[in-house]
Amino acid sequence: MSGIEAVKVIVDAEKEAARILAEAQSKASQIRKSIDSRIQEERQRTLDGAKKEASAIVQHAEDEGKVEAANVTKDSGKNVQELVTKASAHKNAAVDKLVNVILQENK
Amino acid sequence: MSETSLFTEDILTAARTKAQSIIDEAQAELERATQEAKASISKEAADIVRNAQAEAEAIKRRQTSEARHLSKLHEQQEKNSILMEVLDRTKKRIIDATKNETIYVPYLTSQIANGIRELGYDTAIVHLNATDLKGINRANIEKDAGKHLSKSVKVEWANEPIEAIGGAVISSSDGKTRIVNTLDQKFEALESTLLIEAGKSLFGK
Repeated sequence: MSGIEAVKVIVDAEKEAARILAEAQSKASQIRKSIDSRIQEERQRTLDGAKKEASAIVQHAEDEGKVEAANVTKDSGKNVQELVTKASAHKNAAVDKLVNVILQENK
Repeated sequence: MSETSLFTEDILTAARTKAQSIIDEAQAELERATQEAKASISKEAADIVRNAQAEAEAIKRRQTSEARHLSKLHEQQEKNSILMEVLDRTKKRIIDATKNETIYVPYLTSQIANGIRELGYDTAIVHLNATDLKGINRANIEKDAGKHLSKSVKVEWANEPIEAIGGAVISSSDGKTRIVNTLDQKFEALESTLLIEAGKSLFGK
């Protein structure tokens, strides 16, 4: 190889090296540009999951609350029925007592 | 291999190594930023879930609390309905009692005597309802009222009947002082006592 040929080979190699570096810079630049969108995707995915979980928690609580409320209403209905039955048995006595209160007052 | 070839190979190897390092550095930056963001996103997601749990507890509490409130209201309505029925029946019994002389006449006499005592005069005008004006032996009542008061009293009977289920309005001769001893007034004045007493009898409180 002549001296001129050797210089040409070296110049070509340096050009190739520069191309390799430029390509790497471009790729690195693309990677950095993708950071925001990658974080955004990650955020969207995680928050969507959390929102689904939250929605399920609330729905479950509403269902449980309905069941508990129905139980409260049922128990209370039973208690009120008992109260009405007991009170009804004492109505006559109550009327006697009140008549007495009125007629005996300031007698 | 010639020296030139070795030299160019070194140039290219150095370039490739440097290129890889540039890419690795960007990749590491991407990973670092993603990890940092993940920590903050996880916190945000945990907040969403925690808020949902708090909301869920509040929903359950509200639903059961509303059910308890409505039940209490229903219980109160039932109690009120029974109390009102008892008050109503009491009023009817009192009206019936005004037709029973054995019960009513002594009662009316005592109310008239009390009214005269409260007035503090020996003379009084007594107002009765239309039924009592017609059906009651006023002379006997006047005599018995005197016995109640252990003194002789002079009763003037008003001709104009009052609107009342029973009892009497006793007024001074000049009409300036009036003692209202009607059954209607008793009902009104004793309403809270009657409700308390009925409540005790009916509900044990």
